[in-house]
Amino acid sequence: MQGEKGSSTNNRVLVIGAGVGGMRAALDLAEAGRAVVLIDKAYSIGGLMTQLDRTFPTNNCDVCTLSPSLSESGRELPIDLMTSTEVVELKGDAGDFKVRLTTMPRYIDLEKCTACGDCLASFPECVRFTPGLDPRAPTCMRYPQATPFAFSIDMSRCRDIQELVQVCKAGAIIPDEKAISREVSVGSIVVAPGAQLFDPGNLDTYGYGTFPNVVTSMEYERILSASGPTKGELLRPSDSKRPRKIAWIQCVGSRGLQAGANPYCSSACCMYALKEAIVTKERFFNDIETTIFFMDMRTSGKDYELYYQRARNDLGIRFVRSRPHTVDQDAETRDLHISYMPLGENALREESFDMVVLSTGFQISSDMQELAERLGIKLNKDNFVEGDRFSHVATSRRGIYACGLFESPKDIPETMVQASAAACNASVHLDPSGRTPEAREAFPPERDVSKEEPRIGVFVCDCEFNIGGIVDVNDVVKSFEKVPQVVVSKMIGHGCSRESLDLVRQAIEENSLNRVVVGACSPRTHEPLFQDTLRRAGLNKYLLEMANIRDQGTWVHMDRPAEAVEKVKELLRMAVSRVRLARPLADHIVPMNRGVLVVGGGVSGMTAAVSLADLGFRVTLAEKTGQLGGVAKIISRTLEGADVRSWLESLVQKTASHGNIEVLTHCSVVDHCGTAGMFTTGLQVGSDYRKIDHGITILATGAIPNRPDEYLLGKHEAVMTQLDLDGLLEKNASAVRGWKNVVMIQCVGSRVPENPNCSRICCQAAVKNALRILDINPDAMVYVLYRDMRTYGLQEEYYTKARERGVVFVQYEPDQKPSVQSNGNGRLKVRFGDPILGRDLILDADCLALSTGFIANQETTDQLASVFHLPKTNDSYFLEAHVKLRPIDMSVPGFFVAGTAHAPKTIAESVAQAQAAAGRALTLLATETINLGASVAQVDRAKCAACLICVRACPFEVPYINPEGYSEIDPAKCQGCGVCASECPAKAIQLMQYEDDQIIAELEGLFERV
Amino acid sequence: MENFEPVVVAFACHYCAYTAADMAGTKRLSYPPNVKIIRVPCTGKVDMIHIMKAFEKGADGVCVAACLDGDCHFKTGNVRAARHVDYLKKFLDEIGVGGERLEMVSISAGMGEKFAQIATEITEKIRKLGPSPVRIA
Repeated sequence: MQGEKGSSTNNRVLVIGAGVGGMRAALDLAEAGRAVVLIDKAYSIGGLMTQLDRTFPTNNCDVCTLSPSLSESGRELPIDLMTSTEVVELKGDAGDFKVRLTTMPRYIDLEKCTACGDCLASFPECVRFTPGLDPRAPTCMRYPQATPFAFSIDMSRCRDIQELVQVCKAGAIIPDEKAISREVSVGSIVVAPGAQLFDPGNLDTYGYGTFPNVVTSMEYERILSASGPTKGELLRPSDSKRPRKIAWIQCVGSRGLQAGANPYCSSACCMYALKEAIVTKERFFNDIETTIFFMDMRTSGKDYELYYQRARNDLGIRFVRSRPHTVDQDAETRDLHISYMPLGENALREESFDMVVLSTGFQISSDMQELAERLGIKLNKDNFVEGDRFSHVATSRRGIYACGLFESPKDIPETMVQASAAACNASVHLDPSGRTPEAREAFPPERDVSKEEPRIGVFVCDCEFNIGGIVDVNDVVKSFEKVPQVVVSKMIGHGCSRESLDLVRQAIEENSLNRVVVGACSPRTHEPLFQDTLRRAGLNKYLLEMANIRDQGTWVHMDRPAEAVEKVKELLRMAVSRVRLARPLADHIVPMNRGVLVVGGGVSGMTAAVSLADLGFRVTLAEKTGQLGGVAKIISRTLEGADVRSWLESLVQKTASHGNIEVLTHCSVVDHCGTAGMFTTGLQVGSDYRKIDHGITILATGAIPNRPDEYLLGKHEAVMTQLDLDGLLEKNASAVRGWKNVVMIQCVGSRVPENPNCSRICCQAAVKNALRILDINPDAMVYVLYRDMRTYGLQEEYYTKARERGVVFVQYEPDQKPSVQSNGNGRLKVRFGDPILGRDLILDADCLALSTGFIANQETTDQLASVFHLPKTNDSYFLEAHVKLRPIDMSVPGFFVAGTAHAPKTIAESVAQAQAAAGRALTLLATETINLGASVAQVDRAKCAACLICVRACPFEVPYINPEGYSEIDPAKCQGCGVCASECPAKAIQLMQYEDDQIIAELEGLFERV
Repeated sequence: MENFEPVVVAFACHYCAYTAADMAGTKRLSYPPNVKIIRVPCTGKVDMIHIMKAFEKGADGVCVAACLDGDCHFKTGNVRAARHVDYLKKFLDEIGVGGERLEMVSISAGMGEKFAQIATEITEKIRKLGPSPVRIA
């Protein structure tokens, strides 16, 4: 069995669930050299995300962004994927778990299946088919396009098993296949089974399941999706007509609103409803009216507020703050009537829509609860995993870590963060020396071909039917025999097979070939394989050119074989013409420096440093101030009541005394050069300047508690921020006992033009402090003036508790802000509008607590972004490489971001991201060398006029004019885009592998008269 | 010109459009063989000279196939390419070749269908325009 391949017991991790979270964790671990057993209960992988049409906030199709990470061409990752597989029993302890797994039969021999589809055509009721996502064991982890289709059979639904077996010409159907039970030994476990969607069929008010035009958000995604039931046409179910008016109803099954609903907020629904409405608007402009019925718009993620404002202000999406009570249907037209009462009005309105989308949330299924029981991990009252107070991915059982929706409701970026955090934590229980060694092979020395005329070998695969079935490969090969400089022209069957590669190697050696053209599949997937063959034959790997005659030839011209032959010949002619000008290039390979620089000594910086130091890596922690701790120093309790101070003290202690961590205080970054694996950074430490070499940089420079000059803050003793109030409640509780009225104002200095984003933490801070005030002084009246209460996820239940305990929440709009005056006796007069009463209220307040949130640490971010050449957002937070799928990596390799330097977040969220940064860093730290490739720009100094165009054009700011007066491009920093080469007016810059004459030669090959 | 078969050169970015073209293959989506793909690391690498050379050598149409807005692997290469294409379209009009023979498209890596669709549309468009004046001359 594959699970046993070459690794010691305690170097392996079991990952349960192959959705985005599980896949991310598995990939992180595998890339860090750990063996992974990845199981999924379903017969195909991908989880919920693969059903989505597009994802917010980029509105891109992200399956395409994710799937390449599964193909990782040229590298075999130590991942054993088992679908239809579940955990039956778990024994042992962290470091030495024994897990019993059962794999249900698929009834298809994947070795024999040719994915012809005959079984599906004859037995659609029992054959399951998932295009594009192939659960075939590890092949699909490397090349999804190699085996693009997956079939499985539900034998229980098959009406004639013998007939089904007969239908399969390949004899791949195994009707009597049995479930397989096996035991695997692992050091740790990552649990990522996701969640299920709430089923609104149990609610009687919205007509789901009765009215055809009421759909769930996931069904709406399928309707929009190009691979969905309507092939991407937006048609409503009742009459297949395009709807003109669509309504979304938020919080269906969430926030405890309907009978049978869950008490928590599902966190992702506001954003996905916005996305669905935006995508609808973008595709159909004003032809479709979109309306979202909501209570609070919870767009508190990074830049999500901007997305909301764009939807509201630029795209004309209508927002109605109201919870519709019922949906009725016109029996004839099947149109839907929604009756609702908008906030601030006292009459019921009725409006009709063509379609209603229910924004349904997440919940934990009974299967998952049983899984938790088998694993021996505790769940909370909502059945989510009970995590550690500050490290949410740590479950109640040592060695088992949870991520994604199973931990709490969240969106994809947060899932990705937790997945990498879980991977990092899981590494702790593994043998530190047990990393799977990188596969390496000794190649003979490269032959010098510089003085030789081109001697070209043309090798064409038939790839069985894939190429050979459409074109006569023999005829193709023959037509190249007479082409000048072509010495060998051969057919090689399955070119990627061991035998064929040997044949190519022999042909190179016997004929002293110095250029090779391979006509086959895509260079994207197979170039490294053929490059290795050249190196085995003593040729530089860049003397190869691939003609993509399958993926971009026979596969797309099957319907016209005669023209396909011509196309294949053209593609090969282009490659032959281009390969003549190929020249040997050297990859830039440098040893990996395993040192880590962490900038910032707050919670995130310390957590990242300790995580890596515990795994044996040397960490330098640079803190600007004289003390570790950051903003957390002035926070006493979390919403859940955990004591921040004592926890922080022990973290500071651990950091300061760790043998692998050097803490530098009063330290700032001055200069920087190098590339991932070989950075050199100059630091000013007190009055000394020193340089350090490191391979990884983690940015954890934090954000700053905002103190805007508003509502008499700093001018009146009764006005304070939530942080001030938190300190007061901890240190001087008696002061609170005499309070009668406390007013809190939300969004002070956030969601305003100067700081347009939401600070994310203030709503929960207000609820936390309101509840603490009531604990001390139950008679106090607490008023919270808010725009949208954003107590996302499980925080919602504290918001509910606050309302139950009498805290008054009053909504205000930004054009009718409250006003505050001193009334002279140490108290305040606060005036605000009450939308329910429809008039202004005036309160005599003992305390005014302003929820001021965070602002970016602009000075630090700007300075570091400039020194490190890193991108930042408009409001000066660091900008990650991909907001959805790579929320921790920066676009410059070797840099990772954690904590509030990325965006405002809670302490536990900062801890998760810091652990995730460490987890992502481990993937690089596991390598011994770094290959920078050969595709770099080179400057011909004789032609360079030092015009500065390349300096300005380079997206990465690499070129500079050196003291000798010409442009210099550091090959270690060049990313190989070639923008400088195309912009250079003197044509003094060439991009290796893509030189101008090579591209032109390709054109010449195409238009050659034959 | 009854049997006119246009030749369309497509400069495709490795990270998106070229991958989308492979994806069209994976899904066995048929499109006219008239479209010939040249792989580039980024459309920002496509030199205006390359585009003009393609017309000079005999292309009836040229397509620059880039990533979607904001998705460029190299941040802004596709934006630069769009600028080059805009400039050349005017130039091609001036010299009588016709700016409509040059087109910039955006395709993400997973959009095999879109690639096949665009390849079909461009081929038909160029077929209607007839052979490039450069080729006739």
